[in-house]
Amino acid sequence: MKLEDLNKSKVPIVKIDKKLERFRGKVLFPEKLEQANTILKKVGLPDLAQ
Amino acid sequence: MKYPKYQYSSEEQMQYYEFVSIGSKGKIRKIVEYSTTSVEGVYNLAFGDYDEKTDGIDDKSITNNGDSQKVLATVASTVYAFTGKYPDAWVHVTGSTIVRTRLYRMGITNNLAEISEDFHVYGLLDDKWEKFIIGEDYEAFLVTRKHKINKK
Repeated sequence: MKLEDLNKSKVPIVKIDKKLERFRGKVLFPEKLEQANTILKKVGLPDLAQ
Repeated sequence: MKYPKYQYSSEEQMQYYEFVSIGSKGKIRKIVEYSTTSVEGVYNLAFGDYDEKTDGIDDKSITNNGDSQKVLATVASTVYAFTGKYPDAWVHVTGSTIVRTRLYRMGITNNLAEISEDFHVYGLLDDKWEKFIIGEDYEAFLVTRKHKINKK
């Protein structure tokens, strides 16, 4: 796929890179995750029906 | 999003993505992560620069590589890839600074019509989630697919 096509496409073409497997199970942004957990614990999720 | 984006790669679970930002400061490797949160089905989206020297990630660095819109468009594109794999997922995102959160808000605002075709978009205001309204100063964002597509 040409880059121009990629940029027009909403559905991305994702190349699989096995080297990224080394991150699996790791938390790379612990502060952000903690922040998210704090918000979710306090506020929960929105009601989709609303 | 209608903006140019970088091509990126992922591992098989589609929870980690990598692409290379190319700009005035040269080539900078970026990592995008969707980490599981304490609530089942909710993932936290975060991204930052990969530092080869420390083998670590920095989400606070101000790269100034002159391509922030392209970087944001690329990260936004990974939401499509991720929710293609996990259609029931909720994705939470907030910036590491107020300025960065505002940048994300502007990114959503500028593309709200297109994003809303595919996603429910919420902003966090005064400890409440509300449907994203242009002009509100949200602290965090949450999106989920409107049309749950087939799982791969």
